[in-house]
Amino acid sequence: MRETLMLWWQLMRLRARARLQNRLSLVLAWISQGFGYAGAFASIWVILNRFGGLGGWRWPELAFLLGFQIFGYALGAMFTFTQFRFMEEQVRDGEFDMLLVRPVNPWSFLVFSGIDLQYGSHFALGLVLMIMAGLQLDLDWDLLMILRLLLSLMSAAMLTGAMFTALGACAFVLGRSRFLFGLYFDFWELSRYPAIIFGLPLQLILLTILPFSYMGFVPVSVLLGKPVPILGDAAPMLAILAGPITALIAAWIWRACLRRYQGFGV
Amino acid sequence: MSLIIQADSVSKIFQQRKRLPGLSGTLRGLLKPETVPVRAVEEISFAIRAGEAVGYLGPNGAGKSTMIKMLTGILAPSTGKVHVLGRQPVEERVANAREIGVVFGQRSQLWWDLPVSDSFDLARHIYRIDPARFAENRAEMVEMLALGSFLDRPVRQLSLGQRMRADIAMALLHGPKILFLDEPTIGLDVVAKDVVRKFLARINRQRGTTIILTTHDLQDIEEICPRLIMVDDGRLLFDGPLRSLRRSFGARRRLRLDFYTDPGPIWIGGARPVGSSGTQREFEVDEDGRSLIDLISALPPGTPLRDASLHEPGIEEVIRTHYQRRRA
Ligand SMILES: Nc1ncnc2c1ncn2[C@@H]1O[C@H](COP(=O)(O)OP(=O)(O)OP(=O)(O)O)[C@@H](O)[C@H]1O
Ligand SMILES: [Mg+2]
Repeated sequence: MRETLMLWWQLMRLRARARLQNRLSLVLAWISQGFGYAGAFASIWVILNRFGGLGGWRWPELAFLLGFQIFGYALGAMFTFTQFRFMEEQVRDGEFDMLLVRPVNPWSFLVFSGIDLQYGSHFALGLVLMIMAGLQLDLDWDLLMILRLLLSLMSAAMLTGAMFTALGACAFVLGRSRFLFGLYFDFWELSRYPAIIFGLPLQLILLTILPFSYMGFVPVSVLLGKPVPILGDAAPMLAILAGPITALIAAWIWRACLRRYQGFGV
Repeated sequence: MSLIIQADSVSKIFQQRKRLPGLSGTLRGLLKPETVPVRAVEEISFAIRAGEAVGYLGPNGAGKSTMIKMLTGILAPSTGKVHVLGRQPVEERVANAREIGVVFGQRSQLWWDLPVSDSFDLARHIYRIDPARFAENRAEMVEMLALGSFLDRPVRQLSLGQRMRADIAMALLHGPKILFLDEPTIGLDVVAKDVVRKFLARINRQRGTTIILTTHDLQDIEEICPRLIMVDDGRLLFDGPLRSLRRSFGARRRLRLDFYTDPGPIWIGGARPVGSSGTQREFEVDEDGRSLIDLISALPPGTPLRDASLHEPGIEEVIRTHYQRRRA
């Protein structure tokens, strides 16, 4: 076990070292992404001001949701997004085969050797929004509340990583998975908003087969003491368990797909 | 010596998915995939003893890489069994991986943006190599493969020959019992090829590391591998010492006769005429043991013979004609 942890640590160190060789490009990535998100959030703010609210959510509440969603997402994506989005290429040109001839768990190896420092502005933006909104909102920030916040962020991060893992695993069987990531982000955008503004069918979908609601709407509603449609009393529990549950499902999908892996003739 | 690699009637059949273009094609492919079976490896059996060096030769698409992938735990055989060090590689992938080294000529284990030495350090953690043993092995590799001058350079700046040497070193740092190499000399220049060949032959001899390498280049085999396994179209064609390949393929020696004047049609018992031009005649000699003198004395008396020679066909030529015959 100690040796495994050492290996993971070593992988993260090397990956960070490689990325930091080009600090300028890293900083530029932070800035451009930061501006991109800030712009998107600003336009939501403008709309909200015009209509006075969105599905009964006022600005500080929505700001907290935006901050939570981007922070939780970044926490999961920094361990998974880059590597699993490139699964298709890795499988096609045989890079993945190179992992299988080493005495390592290929998933862990991918995760720790591909950790991505690009999410600096996501974290900064998420924190600022959560703190600012959290102070404006009339909330009781005791230890239990903070613990619940941390656990739900973890759950959202696990959910993100689990979904990327499952999408990437499709490359083992189909030889392609890139297109799934395009579809993913079409729905992911929806996880920024309070899901009550959508029709019932879409709400149901976002709570079940495409569980994007657990990345923001459900846990933030619970934290802010707002009712959660459909889930009702199960919401507080699911806000924290959604991540671990999808992680288990994703692990199962990963293994099932890997068992069927046949390489791609290189 | 013990058998450490065994293949028993191994076959690998790939279901090659027909790819349809566009998103609708992809979706259709998901729901109702159309596949064609490709028989990459068919009913191949062989056994390799500890300490052997075996060359696995065959033209493109012959199934060489597929066999390597089955032996290294990447792919499971469709039928038949492979055993490496007593294990089925896919079933016990991690345990197998600890005891073997693998080099794919077209890919690298090294970390692209970082110095070679960082990748070596990583190997220490991946294979849990004892630090003292690691230091010793590393020093030996650096010396034998002359890596010293570029150990601190990022891999992306290395020449292909340097990178290949570093890759081979990386695969040997944990002292594997078997080294698998899939086209280790591909793309290298003459000098770099020579370095790699000499090194592999030495590792095999000195450390007793079992080597199995695939190649298109017969010279790799001549210099490293006393034993040759030849495949074509998934099937085993030949397994044995390189020097007995000629006989096994029934390659004939050629007799060339040169005359002062056109001798007209010439017949020699046990030799088949295969060509003539002007005052030259060529024959294929059926019997391996017959000497040149013996053949010449079979000529009718008084033939104006100027020169005579008997050619052994080169191995390369034997193989080439063999493949050409199969293609035809
Ligand atoms: N993962 C795969 N899926 C489908 N077909 C495959 C796969 N891998 C190999 N093949 C097919 O199997 C056959 C043998 O391939 P293989 O890569 O083993 O040949 P090879 O002898 O290594 O050839 P080369 O000299 O070109 O490297 C080829 O027809 C190839 O297209
Ligand atoms: Mg090959």
